[in-house]
Amino acid sequence: MTKMKKTSQICQSKLPDNTALKQQQLPAYRLQLSATGVLSGFFATGAFCLGVGIILILSAKSIKEIEIKYTKICANCAELREDAINFDKECTCSIPFYLSETMQGNVYLYYKLYGFYQNLYRYILSRSNSQLVGTDLKDVGNCAPFSKSHNGTPIAPCGAIANSIFNDTIILSYNLNSSIHMEVPMLRSGITWWTDKYVKFRNPSAINLSSAFTGTAKPPYWSKPVYELDLEDTENNGFLNDDFIVWMRTAAFPTFKKLYRRLNRVQYFIEGLPAGNYSFNITYNFPVTRFKGEKSVVLSTLTWSGGSSLFLGLAYTVTGAVTWLAAFSMMAIHLMLKEKRTLFIERFETERDRA
Amino acid sequence: MDCSLVRTLVHRYCAGEENCVDSRTIYVGHREPPPGAEAYIPQRHPDNRIVSSKYTFWNFIPKNLFEQFRRIANFYFLIIFLVQLIIDTPTSPVTSGLPLFFVITVTAIKQGYEDWLRHKADNAMNQCPVHFIQHGKLVRKQSRKLRVGDIVMVKEDETFPCDLIFLSSSRGDGTCHVTTASLDGESSHKTHYAVQDTKGFHTEEDIDGLHATIECEQPQPDLYKFVGRINVYSDRNDPVVRPLGSENLLLRGATLKNTEKIFGVAIYTGMETKMALNYQSKSQKRSAVEKSMNVFLIVYLCILVSKALINTVLKYVWQSEPFRDEPWYNHKTESERQRNLFLRAFTDFLAFMVLFNYIIPVSMYVTVEMQKFLGSYFITWDEDMFDEDTGEGPLVNTSDLNEELGQVEYVFTDKTGTLTENNMEFKECCIEGHVYVPHAVCNGQVLPDASGIDMIDSSPGAGAREREELFFRALCLCHTIQVKDDDDVDGPRKSPDSGKSCVYISSSPDEVALVEGIQRLGFTYLRLKENYMEILNRENGVERFELLEILSFDSVRRRMSVIVRSATGEIYLFCKGADSSIFPRVIEGKVDQIRSRVERNAVEGLRTLCVAYKRLIPEEYEGVCTLLQAAKVALQDREKKLAEAYEQIEKDLILLGATAVEDRLSADMQDHGLIIDGAALSLIMKPREDGSCGNYRELFLEICRNCSAVLCCRMAPLQKAQIVKLIKLSKEHPITLAIGDGANDVSMILEAHVGIGVIGKEGRQAARNSDYAIPKFKHLKKMLLVHGHLYYIRISELVQYFFYKNVCFIFPQFLYQFFCGFSQQTLYDTAYLTLYNISFTSLPILLYSLMEQHVSIDTLRRDPSLYRDIAKNALLRWRVFIYWTFLGVFDALVFFFGAYFMFENTTVTSNGQIFGNWTFGTLVFTVMVFTVTLKLALDTHYWTWINHFVIWGSLLFYVVFSLLWGGIIWPFLSYQRMYFVFIQMLSSGPAWLVIILLITVSLLPDVLKKVLCRQLWPSATEKVQTENQCLSVEQSTVFMLSQTSSSLSF
Repeated sequence: MTKMKKTSQICQSKLPDNTALKQQQLPAYRLQLSATGVLSGFFATGAFCLGVGIILILSAKSIKEIEIKYTKICANCAELREDAINFDKECTCSIPFYLSETMQGNVYLYYKLYGFYQNLYRYILSRSNSQLVGTDLKDVGNCAPFSKSHNGTPIAPCGAIANSIFNDTIILSYNLNSSIHMEVPMLRSGITWWTDKYVKFRNPSAINLSSAFTGTAKPPYWSKPVYELDLEDTENNGFLNDDFIVWMRTAAFPTFKKLYRRLNRVQYFIEGLPAGNYSFNITYNFPVTRFKGEKSVVLSTLTWSGGSSLFLGLAYTVTGAVTWLAAFSMMAIHLMLKEKRTLFIERFETERDRA
Repeated sequence: MDCSLVRTLVHRYCAGEENCVDSRTIYVGHREPPPGAEAYIPQRHPDNRIVSSKYTFWNFIPKNLFEQFRRIANFYFLIIFLVQLIIDTPTSPVTSGLPLFFVITVTAIKQGYEDWLRHKADNAMNQCPVHFIQHGKLVRKQSRKLRVGDIVMVKEDETFPCDLIFLSSSRGDGTCHVTTASLDGESSHKTHYAVQDTKGFHTEEDIDGLHATIECEQPQPDLYKFVGRINVYSDRNDPVVRPLGSENLLLRGATLKNTEKIFGVAIYTGMETKMALNYQSKSQKRSAVEKSMNVFLIVYLCILVSKALINTVLKYVWQSEPFRDEPWYNHKTESERQRNLFLRAFTDFLAFMVLFNYIIPVSMYVTVEMQKFLGSYFITWDEDMFDEDTGEGPLVNTSDLNEELGQVEYVFTDKTGTLTENNMEFKECCIEGHVYVPHAVCNGQVLPDASGIDMIDSSPGAGAREREELFFRALCLCHTIQVKDDDDVDGPRKSPDSGKSCVYISSSPDEVALVEGIQRLGFTYLRLKENYMEILNRENGVERFELLEILSFDSVRRRMSVIVRSATGEIYLFCKGADSSIFPRVIEGKVDQIRSRVERNAVEGLRTLCVAYKRLIPEEYEGVCTLLQAAKVALQDREKKLAEAYEQIEKDLILLGATAVEDRLSADMQDHGLIIDGAALSLIMKPREDGSCGNYRELFLEICRNCSAVLCCRMAPLQKAQIVKLIKLSKEHPITLAIGDGANDVSMILEAHVGIGVIGKEGRQAARNSDYAIPKFKHLKKMLLVHGHLYYIRISELVQYFFYKNVCFIFPQFLYQFFCGFSQQTLYDTAYLTLYNISFTSLPILLYSLMEQHVSIDTLRRDPSLYRDIAKNALLRWRVFIYWTFLGVFDALVFFFGAYFMFENTTVTSNGQIFGNWTFGTLVFTVMVFTVTLKLALDTHYWTWINHFVIWGSLLFYVVFSLLWGGIIWPFLSYQRMYFVFIQMLSSGPAWLVIILLITVSLLPDVLKKVLCRQLWPSATEKVQTENQCLSVEQSTVFMLSQTSSSLSF
């Protein structure tokens, strides 16, 4: 008896709630891809892409860029660096070139490497962040095989990335005439991410840098210890060295360029780099022929849309054109079908009338 | 020598086994039989412990883990996880371990909880006290200590602790009432009979003095079959042998009703009880979607392996030049140098596998499970499928088959009670060719007036009056109805017009309708009291008939008989049954007139029965008795012998007349015709009578395929299942659905791809064995056309989208290997790898797969032709699958090479600074998350606030997460490679331009394809979507369904 009553109560409570959610009747907007909607969408997208594309192409046109590959030009230096024994022999190389047009505005100096895999899995891993923020110089856990020197002292900065730092020095000189060669003033600041320079890379705290790094060894391929990278500017010494920080941000592809210097716009260079004769004076240290690579220097101006490539502008233009093409063909199909349909309906109606 | 010895041992053992199989012998109350009796082989029986639980406390963890990892997917993910743990890979084991751990834990907790409940139920059952007799005293013991041979006492409303032979009852007539609701769902009271020779033992002492043995068959699962015999020894006489049938057997799980107490002897205990033997779990059904999902998985597994192989081979080709294998800037460690080449290649292969393993995501399984589980609630919540009369809503017994509801091609339905509502109404009877119609129900008014007989034909002659009364008496006596005086019987069928509160209960609604109809014609069946059936005749006088034998109904004979002795001492045999089984056995009566009437009624769709009788002289009755007794005592082939005996007795009958009962069709029958429309669906009808299906399978299939509706008459339950199987296994492998309401439909429900039970009047057994249960047949329409269609659309998009988004995810990773010297460097940060499937792109698709309605529910219901659009697994065909995969590959190419050319050719920033590899990966990832989410947004037709919230919320979450992830130095990370990467990227104008461009380019082709297909080759669904007109759809063919006649019958 009681059981029966219970079950009947359960039965009553089984009546479903009449909520919109449970009845799948929530108020909703029905997205319909109607012909007019899609067509106008396509035309709008096409117009936008074409517009952006043209603007990008125009702005990319104003950019000046020159790239000089210097592996072959400095063939004797390259040959010298083939053999690691000659690491302490200095080799310089001068590359004259002529700038036919003025490079207006900010000019950036890059070095570019071909065939250097900064994105190898073991290579990317081979660094110690706790060392680089200055908290624990002895932490060389991931740095193998460049974690400790032969006598067992930890390397600072350890790891394959730091060890293989790009160590050419590139000096650009402006040849006003055949006798006056002046060094183009370059800025080292602002070539790194702000967060790298001020958060991710910190020197260990000590009275002076060299004492902070006692008990560590320099990386095997380095000619001088990390605390002697820039003896003039303490803000550029040790782990805070701008070139070092730039190098430590590993590139995505085997061909990559990295920012080296930017033009200090003073005196002659207030407008940019004037047209004329220049030469790069390069201290050639970094071996690339050993991995069949190449290196080059790049001088470039920039606009709001970045560097010189037409890629982005062209891509936008092509996308816009294809979209419009698709839209037109869709419109044609739509109109044709519409005509057919009305014809069909008319025929149907006349037949009905006849009947 | 030894060999022969062994052989004889084996033989003996086998022989012993055979003996065991035959029968078992039980000493009632463990009393040995007198020494003169036959010696029996003692047998061992299990105790009365029921074990339904799967695990114990100790073996839970290993056994559960073992069972879970037997699933291919889980095993695959475990392997990946272990590989990640062992070898040096760029992906952290957490990325695959965490989701796997989550899935395994949740499943284990769920299964553990269910098993704990089972343990609890088992314990409660095994420890519940049972009264039994020991040395003439009543003793209480735990149920599990019960043994075969114990004498048990059961009180009212208690359930029987094991299978018992009914010895005696507190009722004087040695009967008891039982409900078997928990066994087969039949809630009606059934009468069981005590053994004749022991029904006098009413007290504990009496019963203890009983000296008997029982022989019976070994336990078998059939609830309704039991064969045995009892030998009662009294003093020095020869033992009395009595037959035991299922009417003497009280089953474990049944409940004693309306009887103070009974005594019984345990014959089957514990796991040998018929209830336990019926515990067999249903075989798992798999939906077509799941099958194609598994095929796609295998395809992706092949893709994965080939990707890993290609990369491994290329790696070693690329590294064959020493300056690449070990350039000066990336020296190997000593241990790396010394490793064996093949070992190295193998680890590289594994590492690539691990790197690309996300292409088969764990999260897809989780999402599909969640979608099915949560989605099935929409069925149970559906108001339209709620029946207010019974207070029942639809039930979902398995959520695995939701989408299969959208794929049904053939519907098999039981007619009686499913299409009709089992509301039987007595229409007319025909006695000697004269037609009588009970007047009482005209105009919907029920008149309890006995004189309301309308004679359609000419009035009967005076001699016919006697025949007429005999006919009514025959109908009043020839049945197995019980009468309940009580108002509170469950599962009642109240006689609508009886002034007294008397309720007829029967397993067959026809009988009730007949007896009620006869009541209106002046004869009322009162009760069965001490083997005397009492009826009230027209003069309000009580007539008593002694019930001598019941030749019960079975579906082979299709008739039943009773033998009664009237007050004047005359012995009658009344027989009632289907026309075809009565006419051949008739020797007298107006056969032709009655036959024509019966046929007319049958054509009108009425259920007809014929009634005949025969008078037996006492000598004949003696013969009948011995014949029946001999058959009943037989231990072997009792069924067959009984059937032969019945055959001999039921002959030379005199035909009295025929009855017609109307089984009313459900109110909305016309609507159902819509589902049964056209070439896509066929409907096979089955009334509940038996018959032969014929062996012309091919012919049958041929006809079935060419007919929109096929009617199969007179089918046995097993034949129903056979027809389902026949269609199921035919060449096209169509998806079948079986729907029924009675126990006789269970086999068909279990056989079909989707089984639907109607929670009807014939008990709940069909509903319990079904995959889905609905209160009324009319609800099937919404179930298929709306729910099935929507679930199918949803899950197919879910499956395809999951593969698509993981192709987008992993293909750039694959491409990147070509640019990083095949060194297994990851493109994305670990956090992105882990969270891509878990949080950035999971919720939109889950909610889509729960909410999407590509066309409105009303349209779906109104236009059944839309159902054909998705037939034959249309959205998961190879063409569609390949399209999605190629779309994924195309998008991945766009992301990767778009970003690549950008990085390669230009400075991405406007301040000259340079981005590294992590920025590149983040750029690709950002484009990907947006594209993949917007692709889903374009596919969503039904935008509720939830969709808006989830889609835009996911994108926002991605942005906020990336800002946070890169905005803080996380102290628990040993690397800070993502620090400010995302913010730096967003601070550069060109990056924005690239992101916008790449998203547009990857979305355009899909939109274009969609619009073009819609314009050129629109499907029915798309036409409805675009036109959106409310043209009323023409009603399709409506099938009239009747019991005996239609287009085709087998």
